[in-house]
Amino acid sequence: MEFFNEVIGLFSDFANPKKRVFLGYLGISLLIAFAWLIFYHKTNIRGAIARIFDRKIWFSGSAQTDYKIFLINRVFTGFISPLLLTQVAIATAIYMALVRSDLTLWGVYSDVSIGVVVGMFSVAMFVADDFTKYLMHRWMHKWPILWPIHKVHHAAETMTPMTVYRVHPLEGVLYATRSVMAQGPVIAVFYYFFGDSVNLYTIVGVNVIVFVFHVTGSNLRHSHVDIKYPAWIEHVFISPAQHQIHHSIAEEHYDKNFGAALAIWDWMFGSLHVSEGEADLEFGLTENEAHPSSDLYTAYIGPLKEMARVTASFWHRITLVVRRPRGTATARPQRAEGSSSS
Amino acid sequence: MMTRSLKLGTSVLVAALLSGAAFAESYGPYPITEKSYSGDKTNSVAYTGQVARNIMIDSLKKLAGQADGGANAEELKDTMMLYFARGNKEDLAIVSHKGKDGFPITQTMLNEISSGANLVGKTYGGLVPGWPGNKTGAEVVEHMIHHAAMSEGGVSNDLGYDWGQLIQKFLIGAVSYNQAVDNYLDEKMTADNKPNNKPYSDGAAYTGKEHSWDEAFGYFGAPAHALDLSAGDAYGISKKTAFDAGDANGDGTIDLKSEMTFGNAYYAADADKSGTDYLQTITAAFIEGRKVITAADGEALSEAELAQVQAYAATIEDEMTRVLAEATFKYAGSVYGDIEKIRADKNNISDELYRDYIKHWGELKGFAMALQTGRENLGGTAVRLNRLIGYGPPTKDESVVTGIDADGNFVKDGKMSWNAYQLNMLKVQDLLIKEFGVEARKNDGTENLANLIKVLDSDSGGAETD
Ligand SMILES: [Zn+2]
Ligand SMILES: [Zn+2]
Repeated sequence: MEFFNEVIGLFSDFANPKKRVFLGYLGISLLIAFAWLIFYHKTNIRGAIARIFDRKIWFSGSAQTDYKIFLINRVFTGFISPLLLTQVAIATAIYMALVRSDLTLWGVYSDVSIGVVVGMFSVAMFVADDFTKYLMHRWMHKWPILWPIHKVHHAAETMTPMTVYRVHPLEGVLYATRSVMAQGPVIAVFYYFFGDSVNLYTIVGVNVIVFVFHVTGSNLRHSHVDIKYPAWIEHVFISPAQHQIHHSIAEEHYDKNFGAALAIWDWMFGSLHVSEGEADLEFGLTENEAHPSSDLYTAYIGPLKEMARVTASFWHRITLVVRRPRGTATARPQRAEGSSSS
Repeated sequence: MMTRSLKLGTSVLVAALLSGAAFAESYGPYPITEKSYSGDKTNSVAYTGQVARNIMIDSLKKLAGQADGGANAEELKDTMMLYFARGNKEDLAIVSHKGKDGFPITQTMLNEISSGANLVGKTYGGLVPGWPGNKTGAEVVEHMIHHAAMSEGGVSNDLGYDWGQLIQKFLIGAVSYNQAVDNYLDEKMTADNKPNNKPYSDGAAYTGKEHSWDEAFGYFGAPAHALDLSAGDAYGISKKTAFDAGDANGDGTIDLKSEMTFGNAYYAADADKSGTDYLQTITAAFIEGRKVITAADGEALSEAELAQVQAYAATIEDEMTRVLAEATFKYAGSVYGDIEKIRADKNNISDELYRDYIKHWGELKGFAMALQTGRENLGGTAVRLNRLIGYGPPTKDESVVTGIDADGNFVKDGKMSWNAYQLNMLKVQDLLIKEFGVEARKNDGTENLANLIKVLDSDSGGAETD
């Protein structure tokens, strides 16, 4: 019985509407995929089934590694739970700093109608979360110390909704920390102005905007179903096809489409790439990354080694600069620290 | 028959062993070390005067409730003044601690505990900046008693005062806390004051240091067997709900002289129900300090012994001060919560809600003033605390007391919005955390924020990456 519960616990995300792989969202994504193949690509039903349940995708070495990483990473989820208390501490600290400040605006808007407060709060929470996801993802690609961690995700050569779990545990911790840092201040500021009216519009316990993101096929971002939106929408919302472009190894697709739900960040910061009907993208890493898609040792230990190497060479260069006598610092220019390595 | 009694005998033995192992040390009895003593006493512990004062403090609160809106004002004022400043040997009934079914109490009259002890002579002698009129501690209490006697059931709704609460809470500081930390544990723990090689007073069964230390313990107000009690039990004795825990000697009745939880100790236990350890820490320090004094066996304390005793005294002072800060924090939180409810419909404040609010404010104000009667002048902290809390709470129309006139009548010409005052309560709590490091933090005003975050549990894919 105990064992049985443990096993069920492993798969609890599928029953949790706060998670992307909630069975309801997966079911809806399946329907959307069918509709897309049949109505957009004019595939017949048999073809659509074959395409969606392609064994070469679902049981590739890469996909099997996704599943294993999913299971292994369950062990690390416990590390993330204390973050809730951290969020309480951050939000309380910011809130009390506002209380102590000379701003005499505490609770003065507590008469604003609850609907307006809840609406604004729901949007603010979503935007803060989405923007910091964009930033973090961008840094993951641009900072040499972080890229080895994120590489694990990009090593996937076939993509299924389970690929969202194909991340190094450190990346999970970084993202969860980010969420706490981003949402804590939003909660504090809203609570300062609006007091106990603050709340989220939720459906099945999820911010309604996040819910919309999930029921419109968030699971298809990691799939071979190339759903795209009209170009103007792709400037606002990231389509599944756009995220697939993010995973593409084609050179013109490097460092594009970091966004999670909103495309406006990519648009603003020049990393947007709208989809152009690219067919059969190749996913994964270029050969020089030396990161096989289906090796667990590489997935877990590889990033640590690589980070150590990056750190070591960074210190090495620092000491070179420091030791060099004055006046002779004209040798080769050092490569800028922030340059892309992927 | 044989086996049955054997079994019984065994189980009694086992029970005795188990409970024996669980019994912690209690405060006293301690042997007589005073060499000049020639009587037949065997226990040098005595703090009955302090117990009597703690009872009078609580009795004043009860008496305030007897005010009937003016008809009995003069008579009640006289009675209350008797409890505050009774003359020598004048016997008074114990009105605060009366036995009831299932909770018998040994004494019914003050002289069964101590005759002669009064409050007025032991009330904080400094000026009290938290109360209008530039009065000393005793003058503040007299002013309060005067108004309490004229009130309706001890409450002046129009002014926002609950007199029973104000008087009792202020005196817990102005008499019990002040006498303990600013007198008995302070100057009387120096080498030349009440030395250990002389009796406390001529013919006494205890030395100067022994009795000074005992008096401080008496003011703290813990039952002698407090180390044996959980926070809930120590609290429950005062609430008359924990008879078995209180009846340490098993004689079937609670002896107010050693088995009751009063004032400062009661609020220590109250805080401890939220996870702190004030009651145990303070009681243990009292016991350890007393053992050092007892061990000196009637000789003057050496420098090292004196230093040890002073270190225990410092711990006691710190912890007792924090207990008062915890209580102030708790009631600032209650007032915060009351105003939250009041603001929801401020044109229709129910009598019940307003009554709670006034009561909580009285407790807040009383404790905030109590906190300022310690050995150290709190300086800027006191100024901020008094400004945030004010002389009175916002009343139904948001008007507040701003002072008193030459006749001692309250002037109520200030305005304070509910909103602004509620914010002040948050700032009071913030100040108490910063200045006193309160930890129990009952009724924390930021609790709703913390709960909001827990409810949101914004883990909605927080760790989900792409
Ligand atoms: Zn990426
Ligand atoms: Zn991805």
